[in-house]
Amino acid sequence: MFELTLQALFSGLLAGGYYATVAVGLALVFGTMRVINLAHGELVLLAAYVAYAAETTYGVNPVMAIPVALVIVGAASAIVYALLSRIHQDREINSLILTFGLGIILTNAILSIWKADIHSTSDPWFQDSMVVADTLFAMNAEVASFVGGLVLMAGVWWWLNHSWQGRAVRALSSNRAAATLMGVNPRRIEILSFLTAALLATFAGFAIYTGKTVFPALGHVLTVKAFIITVLAGMGSIPGVLVGAVMIGVIESLTVTYLSASLQELAGMVLFLVVLFVSPSGLFGGGRALAR
Amino acid sequence: MSNSLLNRLLLVAALAVAYVGVPLLFGGNAYVLGLIVAALTIAGVAVAWALLGNLGGMVSFGHAAFFGVGSYTSAVLAMKLGVPVFAAMLLGGVGAALSSIAMLPALRLRGPYFALAILAYAHIFQILATEMTPVTGGAGGLLSIPRFPKILGFDFGEKLGGYLIVLTIVVLAAFAYDAIRRSTWGLALKAMHDTEVATRVVGVPSTHLKAAMLVLSAFITGVVGAFNAHFISFLDPDYAFSSGWTVLPIAAAIFGGYRTVWGPVVGALAIYLVDQLLFKPILPHGHQMVLGVLLCAMILFSPGGLMPALRRRPVKESRHAHA
Repeated sequence: MFELTLQALFSGLLAGGYYATVAVGLALVFGTMRVINLAHGELVLLAAYVAYAAETTYGVNPVMAIPVALVIVGAASAIVYALLSRIHQDREINSLILTFGLGIILTNAILSIWKADIHSTSDPWFQDSMVVADTLFAMNAEVASFVGGLVLMAGVWWWLNHSWQGRAVRALSSNRAAATLMGVNPRRIEILSFLTAALLATFAGFAIYTGKTVFPALGHVLTVKAFIITVLAGMGSIPGVLVGAVMIGVIESLTVTYLSASLQELAGMVLFLVVLFVSPSGLFGGGRALAR
Repeated sequence: MSNSLLNRLLLVAALAVAYVGVPLLFGGNAYVLGLIVAALTIAGVAVAWALLGNLGGMVSFGHAAFFGVGSYTSAVLAMKLGVPVFAAMLLGGVGAALSSIAMLPALRLRGPYFALAILAYAHIFQILATEMTPVTGGAGGLLSIPRFPKILGFDFGEKLGGYLIVLTIVVLAAFAYDAIRRSTWGLALKAMHDTEVATRVVGVPSTHLKAAMLVLSAFITGVVGAFNAHFISFLDPDYAFSSGWTVLPIAAAIFGGYRTVWGPVVGALAIYLVDQLLFKPILPHGHQMVLGVLLCAMILFSPGGLMPALRRRPVKESRHAHA
């Protein structure tokens, strides 16, 4: 019983790693543009399908597909930005509907190209299990993605805190007008945040394809999950998002272990509702409150 | 003045065509009537969505939840408790309204966050419907849900009867939308859209008003969902809570112009018929892509909907003529 719990906690931690890479991208774009990109999960999915196409059509290792996926997802993300920046009237509502529409286009494009089947990597190395401690097991892919994701997020965190551009991103998030007066070019910084989000999304897509399964309807689920995580974290910092993501991951894996796999999605949402009731500005209070 | 009189005459003419013309023309054609009923089902949800979006200022990506809850409530009441179908249909709306009360804490969230919170709710209800097998039949769904009864010799269970029922629901919903928009509530809601803080300061209970719009929108959507359940006589969770019940009405409302009362209805008829007759045969998988493209194009080029776009054109042309 104890071992089972430990294993559930461990699996949840690993899942939290890739949830965090999805959520940080969403939060970054939200920070600079005040727009929740409802097509963000679909960008992740696009990367996963590029890896799938590379593996099945050209027989290359999914790792090799990352640069190609990066270019494609980066381009898609830039298109989302270009369209979003054309909206001036009722920006809040219209940009939501626009990204919702873009998400539908991406999901259905994926659906018509690759059909509704469920896919996962056929490379045995990723699926091989690894004994971490006595009784703790994980797939190679899960551990690799977790470590890779942490390194990537640490890099983004460093960039945000220690580079001029990163500071400009944060400046734009905290006070747009003041940042613009200080010589920050908002359009450049906005597109930079979209490209960084694309980088994170590409990595997350790779992680899902190698460690989990992909299907067209997943994009939507990922967007909702990333949103829930950012709400839990209070749209604050990268470490906050990471904690929120691990929390969702752990709760989901405990639910799967002790209740039922079909209740997995429900667990995170119930937590989300509870947080909404109790403390709408997020669990950690920090960052910008979402609610009035 | 004459403009509003003209509008009123147009409305009467449109209603006459809908109640008399369509049954006379297509009464015998089950295929065409079936398409129109499906389009009106979308229209009903689109009106409810527009009511919340325009008056309440809240975009919902979760109307599939209300649709599903309404359809299941009504179907279960009629099947297990033997409630008469018409009463069950109204109770379906009540069920959906009750489920929206669970969403009230989300009203603490501003625009975009509300939209996503409601998306999460829709997922929750779908999972619940799948899991509560004893009541809902689980993933297998409910079969042979009672159809609408015969009243005074007229069979409402037939296609034509269904058409008249859903038409009446849509018309009543649109009238309710219009009445609220003209009332003091509508004025307060409009003021809230401009500046919520100032509106609260002068004593308008803005959260209560928004809550009322949410509950009413859920009620209408629930009734439409319940109608659909009895009309097609079958339900399963994937169908009842399908994202299509969210996507199509939004596309319809945006296309027709959700800031007008009849825009969503016109949009639903146009979009659903074009989608089914034109795009579904061409793109059997992923024909919703067209809806996505349409949605994006409308937001980018004419966020006010199709009607303002059509109205704007002559003005532009006359300007060119003067220049």
